[in-house]
Parts: sequence; structure tokens; C-alpha cells
Amino acid sequence: MENIDTNGNGLSHPYNSLIKMRGIWKTYQMGNEQLHALRDVSFDVRRGEYLAIIGPSGSGKSTLMNLIGCLDTPTKGEYWINGEQVAKMTDDELARIRNKEIGFVFQTFNLLARATALHNVELPLIYAGIGSSERHEKAVDALKSVELGDRVTHRPNELSGGQRQRVAIARALVNHPSILLADEPTGALDTHTSAEIMNLFEKLHEEGNTIIVVTHETEVAERAHRIISIRDGEIEKDEKTR
Amino acid sequence: MAFVPSFSIVYESFRLAVGSLRSNKLRTMLTLLGIIVGVTAVIAVVTIINGLDSTVADAFSAQGSTAFSVSKRPLVITSREDFIRFNKRKDVTEQDAEALGRLCDTCWRVGTSINGTGLVKYGENRAENASVRGLSLEMFDIENVSLQAGRLWTDQEGRSGRPLCVVGTDIVDNLFEGRSPYSVIGQEIRIDGIPFTISAVAEPFGKVLGFSRDNFVYVPFEAGQRMFGSRDSIVIHVQVRDSALFETAKDDVRSIMRNRRKKEFSDKDDGFSIDSQDAFIGIYQNATSGIYFATIGVAVISLVVGGIVVMNIMLVSVTERTKEIGLRKAVGAKQSDILLQFMIESVTVTMVGGAIGVFTGYGLAYLLSFVLGFPLLISPSSAFLGVTVSFVVGMISGSYPAWSASRLSPIDAMRNE
Repeated sequence: MENIDTNGNGLSHPYNSLIKMRGIWKTYQMGNEQLHALRDVSFDVRRGEYLAIIGPSGSGKSTLMNLIGCLDTPTKGEYWINGEQVAKMTDDELARIRNKEIGFVFQTFNLLARATALHNVELPLIYAGIGSSERHEKAVDALKSVELGDRVTHRPNELSGGQRQRVAIARALVNHPSILLADEPTGALDTHTSAEIMNLFEKLHEEGNTIIVVTHETEVAERAHRIISIRDGEIEKDEKTR
Repeated sequence: MAFVPSFSIVYESFRLAVGSLRSNKLRTMLTLLGIIVGVTAVIAVVTIINGLDSTVADAFSAQGSTAFSVSKRPLVITSREDFIRFNKRKDVTEQDAEALGRLCDTCWRVGTSINGTGLVKYGENRAENASVRGLSLEMFDIENVSLQAGRLWTDQEGRSGRPLCVVGTDIVDNLFEGRSPYSVIGQEIRIDGIPFTISAVAEPFGKVLGFSRDNFVYVPFEAGQRMFGSRDSIVIHVQVRDSALFETAKDDVRSIMRNRRKKEFSDKDDGFSIDSQDAFIGIYQNATSGIYFATIGVAVISLVVGGIVVMNIMLVSVTERTKEIGLRKAVGAKQSDILLQFMIESVTVTMVGGAIGVFTGYGLAYLLSFVLGFPLLISPSSAFLGVTVSFVVGMISGSYPAWSASRLSPIDAMRNE
């Protein structure tokens, strides 16, 4: 904490950073034209932060989220996550990082429709190669932590929207990732349920999780402790709000 | 550890495969159909031909490869010209048989038969088209005929022309309507009007390819000669002690017979024919190998079509589940995990099809064996073959869809609605 802003450009000391991005570019080739979705983006995220990334559609925030989540690699630049350089990793190495370091929460939940809540939550553990009894135990714990201990054998169509999103959050948390990365987590929920989910995020943050929320809703962003605004592929503003 | 998929991933993939097959039963059924047809064909044909082979082998081993026959005409004549040519040959006679018995050292048993068919009657009961054969006593050893009731005529009874006969079980059934073999001994039957007394009932030979081999009456050779002698040439049967002598004995018999017919070295035709069961087995094998290859062809075609259907369905399945694939990759599935998942799904479909095919194939073979009357020989190897073939089809058909699924980028996949 004492290292914040030592060099006055909003970048903390690299060794304290969970995420460190330096000079990130993402360029798409559209016919003869080059489209720069991200231009020279640099920022750090420390362990335990609660960060919102906001911006209008087409601003590049989804591209940034894909890069943070290791779903994609940058065209140029360097990206360390938990001390590992991921900018040049192969698909399979990225898969390992996603499995170990990132917990995704999606707007449309992305649960497997035919699988029970428990099985959905077990999914990251399966790909981590964890045996069934340990998997079961961890998944039940994760579901309990989002107050769904009594919905273990329910399938998504037997659950409400808020419950589904909580299953998705349990799935994101089950492998104890470094970062909980949420993409419009309340986009498909009503106001009441949205508040419930945001309260849950707050609780998870208090428990020490690092949370990054990508959103265009200001109410959602305002719950975070730091907001990065993206416009035209560049960081427009990076401010601490709490 | 990097390249060996963990058990949990294999199990997860298998669970998924079963789940997705269950969730779309009609589609699964249609997908399976091609594989089922192909494997059914393979199993049914292999099983049926195994059964036929063993029946035929059993039937022919009564004489086995130690016996051959010498006759005026060969057993199999394929053209009219040949028929005319063979008819011009000299008859084979008892004197020939006597000469062979005397001169051929390698011949163990020499018997004679004279063969025909006749109408057999007992009172009002009749058996038509019964095989009527006049046999010398040696024939009962050569053809391995055993008696279940009564006794054979003696040499003297045979020579003196006593009207005795040995009947097959079909004759007993047809003429005496369920009377026991013992009770028919001593009964008088008429063969083409001539009275004969039953002295024995033979053990049944059973059926070959649905045809009974027990519809016969054997009479002493001399009696047979009186019935058919003026009309036809006789057949000499030779048996060797050891199948190793078989070819030598054939050669000996050929030279003795040619000598008796005063054939020169340059004469192409022997003037008689030597036949053994090998000839039958050859013809039979030709016929069945034709059937075999034709059905294998049908099976291959349906497996190829089935494989294409499976590939198609797998491609559809990959497209439908793009989002799921994206999610799995997002939570840490590697390319190899996704590849494995879809390969297992594809192989599961075809193996289920193969397993069903194995059962329907055996079922079909059972029905046919029931109808045609040959033993059902279920060989584990054909089941293994069926399952292996379906495994291979699954691997081949699944590889492209699985490969394309594994290549999907998680972002594109999840964007897909």
C-alpha cells in the first residue's frame, strides 16, 4: 500500500502487482485497414483490489477483459499475471493460467444446462485434474460460500437468475483463483437481484479476493474501489473512488 | 502429466457423451443405424458361415479325407457336352472293384454301391424320393454307418439275395408314425413294389443345410443290382488306413483302372472318375467365399455411410455446443481436453451402435440357423471384430469434428448465441 504512486504515473511497484500490463496493443486487421482496439495500455492491479473497468461499447473494454482473462493475447506489449509473463503464451499454457489464476463470471451465466449446480462448479476442478472426492468437497464448500448449499443437485432451469449467477460465482471461486473477473455480471438480472449479487461481490472482496468487474452500468462501477475508464482503446481515467 | 489426460477428464467426457446421446434420442438412433447395419451384417455373416463351415465339415468328415470313389461319371458335371462324353465311358463293374481289392496295396477297404431313388411303402404309408442304395458290407465301415436297432445282414445273406434292408430314421418316422426303432425290425416294406424285411435301423445322420440325410434304405449290393443293375454303372468306394496314403492310393487306383481299360499314356481321359469330398468342400468354399466377400462389401459400404453420418452429426453437435466449448476453455480446458471429449463422444456413439449390431447380428444368425438347421457358433472373435470396427469408425469420423472443436477460440465460441 505504501508503494502506490511512487513514480507518479499510477503504476505501483511491479513486485506488489498481481496484474502488470505494459504498453499493450491489440490490433485487428480488417481488410486493408488496421483497427487498434487497444493502444498502449499500461496499468497495475494489486492483490485485494476491487476494480471496475467502464467504457461505452466499442471502447475496447471487452478486448481488455479478454486479455486480462487470458482468453486472448496482445499484439504487442507485456503482461504479467502473478509473476508469469503471459503475453507470449501458447493456447494450452493460457488454458492453465485461466484454470489456476482466473475465475470468470459472465453476463449470461454460461452454466451447462444439463449439469447440476454441483457439476457446474466442479468443472474447473476437473480440468485441474483434481480427484472426485476432493472435487466434490471443494465444490460444495464453494456453493455454501454463495449460500447455495441447499441447491447442490438443482439444474440451472430449476434456479432463479440470481441463483444461477451465484452458481457461476461459486464456479469462478472454486479453484481459488487470483482474480475474479466479471463481465457485466448484473446485465441479465433485475434491480433487486443485481443488488444481491453486488453485495456478494463486496463480501468476497472483504474476504480478500481480487475482483475486476467490466461494466457499462455506473451503479455497478460505483461499488468498486477503483475505476478505469476506457475510451477509443486508451485509458481515459484511472481513479481511486474509496 | 501434460499429455496424459487425467481419469476425471476421461470420465467427464464419457458422462457428457452419454448425456448428449440421451438428450437427443431420435438423432442418436438415426446416427447409430448405419453402424448397426454394418456391424450386424459382419456379425451375421461371420456367424452363419462359421456355422455352415462346421456343418459341412461334420457332414463330410463321415468319410473324411480317407475315402474316395471311382465311378463312370464325376459327381459334378457342369455341361451337357460333358454329360454326353461321360456317358460314353465304360461302366464301372464289380470286376473292377474285385481287381482293386486284389491289386491295390494302399487300399484298406474297397466297397461297392449302386445308387438310386425309389418309392418306399408300408401298407398305405409311403416315403417318396427315398435314397435307395445297394451296399456291400464294407460300405458300412467306409461310410461309418452305425445301427441303433437290429442287425446287419451277413455276407452269406447278402450273396444269397435275401431281401433285407437297413432303413434311416426318416423312413421309420414316415412309414411307422412314431413307432420305436426296435418295433419296426422284421416289418416288411416295399421298395418300388419289391418286398424287403427291415433288419436294422441306422443312427440318424442329421441335417445338412436343412436337408435330411436320413431318408434312405440300404439293401444288400446284390439286391440293389437286381433293382438297378441293368440300368446303371456301379460306384466303387476306397478307403485308406491313413490320410497320408490318400494321394498314393488314388494314383494306384488310377493306374490299375487305366490298365483295365487299356488306356495308353497319351489318352487324356481316364475313362472313369475319381471323386473325393475335397471336391465338394472346394465348391462349397468357392460359394461361401463369394457370399462372404459380397456381404463384407455391403458391411463396408454401410459402415462408410454410417461413419459419414456420425461425422455429420458430430459437426452439428460441435456447432450447437460452441458456447459450451468456449466456457470449458475459459475455465481451463486445454485443446487436448476438448479433442478428447468429442472423440470419446464419437467413439461412444459408434461403440453403442457396434454393440447393438453385435446382438442383432447374433440374433439374425440365430434365426437363420433355426430355419436352416445348422449349429449357431458364436465366436467371441466376431464380437471383438464388430466392436473394433466400430471403434475405428468412431475414431475416424470423430477426428475432424473434434479437431475443429478443439481449435475454437474461447472468445469467438462464447460470443456465439
